Amino acid sequence: MLTLGLDIGSLTAKGVLFDNGSIVEKHLIQVGYNSKNAADKLMEELLAKASVTSSDIKKVIATGYGRNSIDFADKSVSEIICHGKGIHFLLPDIRTIIDIGGQDSKVILLDEKGTVVNFVMNDKCAAGTGRFLDVMARAMETEIQHFGELSLKGKNPSKISSVCTVFAESEIISLVAKGENREDITSGIHLSIARRIVSMVKRVGLVTPVAMSGGVALNIGVIDALQKLLKTTVKTTPLAQYGGALGAALLAQEID
Amino acid sequence: MKEENSLSLFREIAADPYAYLRRLKEETGVKMIGSTCTYTPEEVIIAAGAHPFRISGQSQTLSNSDAHLQAYSCSMVRCMLEDGLSGKLDFADGVVFPHACDSLQRLSDIWRLNIKSLHFDVLLPVKLDSEISKNYFVKVIGRFKNDIEKALNATITNQALQDAIALMNSIRSSMEKLYKIRSENPSIIKGEDMAAIVKASMVMDKKECSAALQEVVGMLSGNENKKDGRKRILISGSICSHPDIYNIIENKDAVVVWDDLCSGTRYFEGVIKGENDALEAIAHRFTERYVCPAKHLGVEFQMANMKKIIKEHNIDAVLFIFVKFCEPFSFDYPDMKNELQKMKIPFLMVEMDQHNHVDEQLHTRIDTLLEIM
Repeated sequence: MLTLGLDIGSLTAKGVLFDNGSIVEKHLIQVGYNSKNAADKLMEELLAKASVTSSDIKKVIATGYGRNSIDFADKSVSEIICHGKGIHFLLPDIRTIIDIGGQDSKVILLDEKGTVVNFVMNDKCAAGTGRFLDVMARAMETEIQHFGELSLKGKNPSKISSVCTVFAESEIISLVAKGENREDITSGIHLSIARRIVSMVKRVGLVTPVAMSGGVALNIGVIDALQKLLKTTVKTTPLAQYGGALGAALLAQEID
Repeated sequence: MKEENSLSLFREIAADPYAYLRRLKEETGVKMIGSTCTYTPEEVIIAAGAHPFRISGQSQTLSNSDAHLQAYSCSMVRCMLEDGLSGKLDFADGVVFPHACDSLQRLSDIWRLNIKSLHFDVLLPVKLDSEISKNYFVKVIGRFKNDIEKALNATITNQALQDAIALMNSIRSSMEKLYKIRSENPSIIKGEDMAAIVKASMVMDKKECSAALQEVVGMLSGNENKKDGRKRILISGSICSHPDIYNIIENKDAVVVWDDLCSGTRYFEGVIKGENDALEAIAHRFTERYVCPAKHLGVEFQMANMKKIIKEHNIDAVLFIFVKFCEPFSFDYPDMKNELQKMKIPFLMVEMDQHNHVDEQLHTRIDTLLEIM
């Protein structure tokens, strides 16, 4: 049965087509300001890419912030449940998922069967999210794609004490003014985001093995900083951004 | 249809409580005394011929209050102050400040210095469970009575107090009946309507409120024992001023069947017993009902109360709703969390500002709690 999972996040929309135990096709686009339009566009491009028509798709589940605006979905499920399902499919032994998206970060605890048993989500502001890294990369005049690699070159990470994105940016400007080098500041930024995530991990209680999902899982600097602070390996997968959409497609397989 | 008409009165008042109060003042000329906390002895105000109402903090954008309170202060207090400073409460003759927590205490000071109105402080003891504090509380109520008499130029008789007690008792017992009917048959009335009933009851003319509540109870009685298959949720915390939360839960095949909120059961809990000394009777209700975490009695007390509710109302999960930066609730939370984990009761804690809307992130977290169950 061909199923579709749509994950309409705050920054990007992801779609996964699933059939016969494997991913048929996947696609990612920027959301813009209208999640409904983004879902329509994503669907259209994904279908073209996979050479299938909408009538071939038997069930659709929507997830992510825009999940309730997708009128053609059979069901909507929160992204926490979907990330759990998706990552369990990709990395079956994982018990703790650190998901850092564009606008929020979550720590999700799974049992042996991959069922979500507990979670925490940042609830204050953009601190510890992809948006924080975007703002910091801009302040360091670096492309976000290279930001993680740059952080690995830091020898003496700068101390960034603010968790607030706005205050952290002004703290960084002060460090620049003091003449601290770019690599060390960048390294400090990555450690600061990791410290914030680690406090969330402690709230649910760390159970190994750990994996990262969401767009920020593509940043090697965050993974490195998390590994240092958690003193354990943090796995990831090239499909980390598709965890939610994949989980939705998998859950759609279970709809009667 | 009759049900709809009765409910629409509460809905209308809850949607704009100050418009109702302004109208009431114009029509009756009654003196209006605002209250900032459920530890306000409303009976004393009623016995003086005035009208007690809860200041609900209706402001959704804060500007004036930010000149006096930091953004990390309790948003309930900030919203109430904004209501006062922005002139939304221009119909009020006075305001009562029970010193339940630090934030309310400071609000009293800021109000006194910046807003011209009659001003009443109710100096609560730090603890409410000892014999000494019980006796002290009687004196506090006595002092409040003297303050009200002086400020409103009124004489409060024992009979007037007894009448006020009877009136408030009737409201409280109707409200409790309503909650129990709904716990038995959650489909009978929507969660957002229950919230509107409590909110409206806190501002309505007490006789009108008593009659309207009795009408609703009468209409709904006899439909108990119809528990549906939905998951039963307890909301725990200080206030829930976001009716959307009830709808989010109800859209997920679950329903809020009870709460321990200041904007819920804590308003009506505890019927005042018939005692010769009316002031003693009023004081005893406050010391005997559920004690606000601001008057810390230890986590055992909080947990015993929660366990009782979980058992009595067959609770499947607990949603803690805290006002951001409200320390008394936050300090109790880690222990409550551990106890619920031991009991294998799913729960979620969310912190909210009173003036903010329910955002997608909160929606996601509540959905996830209900999907995990």
